[in-house]
Amino acid sequence: MDGRKRGDLEACRGCCHKVTPGKTSAGADHAPVAPAIVCKGLWKVFGDKGSQHLSSALGQEEADTEAVAASLIDRGLIPAVRNATFDVHASEIFVIMGLSGSGKSTLVRCLSRLLESTSGSVHLGGEDLLQASPKRLIELRRTKLGMVFQHFGLFPHMNVADNVAFPLKMQGQGKNERLQRAHEVVKLVGLEGREDAYPRELSGGQRQRVGIARSLAADPEVWFLDEPFSALDPLIRRQLQDEFLDIQARLKKSIVFITHDIAEALKLADRIAIMRDGNIIQIGTPTEIVLNPVDDYVREFSRDVAKGRHATVASIMKTNGKLPTLNKSGPALNLGMTLDDALASCVSTYKPVPVVDGEGKVRGAVDPADLTAALQVDHS
Amino acid sequence: MTPESMTPASMTKGTLAALIALATGALCWALSSTIPALGNWPDAWTLPAVSWIGAGAEWLIDLLKPAGRLVALVLGYPMEWARMLFVSTPWPLLIGLVTALGWHLGGWRMVALGALGLGFVVSTGYWTESMNTLSLVAVSVPLALLAGGGIGIAANEFPRLKSAVQSVLDVMQTIPTFAYLTPLLVLFGFGPVVGLIASAIYAAPPMARNVILGLERVEPEIREAAIMSGGTRFQQLFEVEIPSAAQQIFVGVNQCLMAALSMVIIAAVIGGFNDIGWEVLLTMRKAQFGQALLAGFVIVVFAIVIDRMSGVLAEPRRHFDSRITYTLMAIAFLATAITWGRLPDPATYDLFGSTADFVDSTLGAFTAANGAMLDSVKNGAMFYFLLPLRIGLDDSVLTFTWGFDWTKSMTAGWFILAFAVGGWLAWRGHRVVGLMVIIAAGILQTGVSQLPWPFVLVGIGVLGWVSGGRKLALTVSFMLIAIFLMGLWERALLSLYLSGAAVFACAVLGGAVGLLCAVNRTAWRVVQPICDMLQTIPLFVFLIPVLMFFQIGEFSAFLAIIAYAIVPMIRYTRHGLTTTPDEMVEAAISSGATGWQIMREVRFPYALPTILLGLNQTILFAFAMLVIAALIGTTGLGQSIYLALGKADVGLGIAAGIAMAILAMIADRLVQGFADEQRKALGLKT
Ligand SMILES: Nc1ncnc2c1ncn2[C@@H]1O[C@H](COP(=O)(O)OP(=O)(O)OP(=O)(O)O)[C@@H](O)[C@H]1O
Ligand SMILES: [Mg+2]
Repeated sequence: MDGRKRGDLEACRGCCHKVTPGKTSAGADHAPVAPAIVCKGLWKVFGDKGSQHLSSALGQEEADTEAVAASLIDRGLIPAVRNATFDVHASEIFVIMGLSGSGKSTLVRCLSRLLESTSGSVHLGGEDLLQASPKRLIELRRTKLGMVFQHFGLFPHMNVADNVAFPLKMQGQGKNERLQRAHEVVKLVGLEGREDAYPRELSGGQRQRVGIARSLAADPEVWFLDEPFSALDPLIRRQLQDEFLDIQARLKKSIVFITHDIAEALKLADRIAIMRDGNIIQIGTPTEIVLNPVDDYVREFSRDVAKGRHATVASIMKTNGKLPTLNKSGPALNLGMTLDDALASCVSTYKPVPVVDGEGKVRGAVDPADLTAALQVDHS
Repeated sequence: MTPESMTPASMTKGTLAALIALATGALCWALSSTIPALGNWPDAWTLPAVSWIGAGAEWLIDLLKPAGRLVALVLGYPMEWARMLFVSTPWPLLIGLVTALGWHLGGWRMVALGALGLGFVVSTGYWTESMNTLSLVAVSVPLALLAGGGIGIAANEFPRLKSAVQSVLDVMQTIPTFAYLTPLLVLFGFGPVVGLIASAIYAAPPMARNVILGLERVEPEIREAAIMSGGTRFQQLFEVEIPSAAQQIFVGVNQCLMAALSMVIIAAVIGGFNDIGWEVLLTMRKAQFGQALLAGFVIVVFAIVIDRMSGVLAEPRRHFDSRITYTLMAIAFLATAITWGRLPDPATYDLFGSTADFVDSTLGAFTAANGAMLDSVKNGAMFYFLLPLRIGLDDSVLTFTWGFDWTKSMTAGWFILAFAVGGWLAWRGHRVVGLMVIIAAGILQTGVSQLPWPFVLVGIGVLGWVSGGRKLALTVSFMLIAIFLMGLWERALLSLYLSGAAVFACAVLGGAVGLLCAVNRTAWRVVQPICDMLQTIPLFVFLIPVLMFFQIGEFSAFLAIIAYAIVPMIRYTRHGLTTTPDEMVEAAISSGATGWQIMREVRFPYALPTILLGLNQTILFAFAMLVIAALIGTTGLGQSIYLALGKADVGLGIAAGIAMAILAMIADRLVQGFADEQRKALGLKT
């Protein structure tokens, strides 16, 4: 675990997050922990001799991603992931969102090396995953990586317990030991008692619980989920999202979560990366994505989202200039309050309202005019 | 420039192709008297390919012979052990064990099948012969499973190998069964080992195919889940991928068993092993049809028992109480112990001997009474259908058969009629059909076996062009030229004629039956078990009933081919017509279409690719049976292959086998091409 101790980590989380379980606040003052995954300049080009073409195109086009991609497309290749660069912080839920075909699955498969990237690097706790030998890769997958699939990917010839215990079997654990652990994980996902059932006998939601349990059996540090809830109906989806947040609150994995559903992304994410045509075009907290979309594509996503429910007061408050003083009888807002709640508590005032932190100290002010402006749905 | 851009806008690819073929045919016909080289492929242009292949193969075989003989020697042991085991196991024990296995696999139905089936075999007195056959299967199948499974896994592991392996498997599927025997006979020496190895070689491809298919179809996410669980490649393959593909692989096991049984029985023509296939052949030669039929039934029973029991494996697994399995086994041992030493030699059982005699005498009486009727059926088909197709109207229409002689003016009248009908069709907008009518009239006038080679070459070439573009046109043309060069063209035409006639009959009859079954459930309930049955019966057995009624000759061969090759046509036609997506049918209904309109406008076009695949299977089946039918008198390549076996002429055997395979491949590519085209047109494939 490269010197980083779980104890430290938890102590740290305890001090700086106290909003909803599993969700960090949008604060810029994030814990100074080494990121769990560092992805730099990742390209995945499908087609014949992709890497040759990519390096020649990179040589010609002087690092302009769009020009390189255009040149690759001209040569009949498909640049499915284009120069992706991002970090995934330890214990955060990093959601990658984008329309169908935008390259999300390709990206996450490059991270887990189910696909070989064409160029770039993916560091996992200081180790370059893309350079790992096949043997090392197997070891990493056995101990550090877990993955959940959109269509579950359960082994049809094994029952629930054997499916869940499979990664442990790969490690060479004895039968009793691994079934013992499988039982624990099955309990964690709420499937106790169904250990002997076969995948075909389970409902979709139950199957995905098995998929989740299997990916957690070996207690990985990094957890990849590729549209895990997309194949489920809305009610089950919501239920599993809640349970997912519960599990994350307890286990605190570093998560890469793929979805094409903005509501799901906003609900689960600590940070969201938006993809379009293989590019990551914006990375930010849910609030930033909703309030400050970088372009129309991102704006289009958040168009139907009730912003008031996602953005917090912190995102629109002013911290410079003269701050209003706290008035016992007048309205005051909390840092973590959503805009909806804020609006409810200052409908009757026209003056800037003070914003306080957890200890009651004034940290900034919100102008009600800004508040209503932020809540306008975009029509541009 | 694309082929399309060369076509005048008003003319479709099909019209152009038909015109080219027609022009070539007319040219050949006009010039045939001045340039005889345009008729038959001139001998001077052939290469001595048969003797080259013979010399090459013999050189290779001589090189391999010591190894071959060693293999024969080594394989002789397990074969002898298996034979000892099967023959010396008391029959009550074997039946009991098979019954127990039947319970374990499929419950009471399989118990009944095993007990009744093997009980029948014992009571015919063919127990020893059957066990000899079974022992060959028992040794060849594990070999085939290992080889096929190994090849399948290798093709899966090394993607570069895959397409090569797949084309080899494709070719092997088209090489006629007998063609394997001659080289093996020379390599391994006379004896049952040849049958063993031939059946292992013949049975391995279906296994390999299904392993490849099964592994290919493992869901990507299941594969990825195995990778992400940290499995080594070995663990992924054996713990996840192969078990996930188990059902498909068991389909392969089933097909492998059936192929091995079929080949072991065919290999009986080599003789010398006292097996059940040999018994059929012997009794057939002696015209003891009652006994031949009985022995044939024994084969069919084995085929059905093996097929159904192994078929259960390919279905979702069900569990049957293992206590009953053990009870059945205990009963088997008990019965064996009680009857030990008291059972007479099973060869003396003859429960159906009198039935066989009765069949013989009844058959004799029947043919005596209805000989005239049978003859007129046979002669009618020969004189009015097969012969004109083979040698053309001008040669086959004689006073002796038709009551008048074909004259020059009739030829003229025939063509005027053809042009009139064709022209009228073209005028109505069916240009390709109109041209085809004229071409068909020309073919019928000339006779398939006398078609000028340039016409066939160009005709096949343009067919290839229409169905699959320039590449396919070139491929099929070169394959055809290979047959020309080998000097086997005349014989190939004869094969083409007989299989063509049979395929035509299958397409018409099978298509009609398939259509009937698609619209009428009761009809399908009757036809389905017949189809299942026909598909299980080893090729060989089809010869018995046709011989019983129509003696040796082309007509019997024709019937045997139809009986065997019609099944896929029926099945695929029905399947295609009944599996139209509901929404399409509902859309048609809500547009106010009647039942027949729906059939014609919606179901049929949608089913066409499937029906074409059925036709493709039918063609391949017909070629396979053509070679077996050489046993009862056909001319052409099948006969050459069979003669080569008798004379141990490796060159001729291989060359004729190759020519046969080429014909099958050409037909296969063309039909597949049309099916693909149609699927694209329907948007089922991009
Ligand atoms: N094996 C492949 N070969 C060629 N192109 C591929 C391959 N896999 C994916 N692509 C292409 O890469 C692009 C991105 O595909 P990807 O599956 O990553 O999209 P996605 O964002 O996951 O979409 P979805 O939401 O539908 O899952 C698509 O244009 C796709 O056609
Ligand atoms: Mg995807």
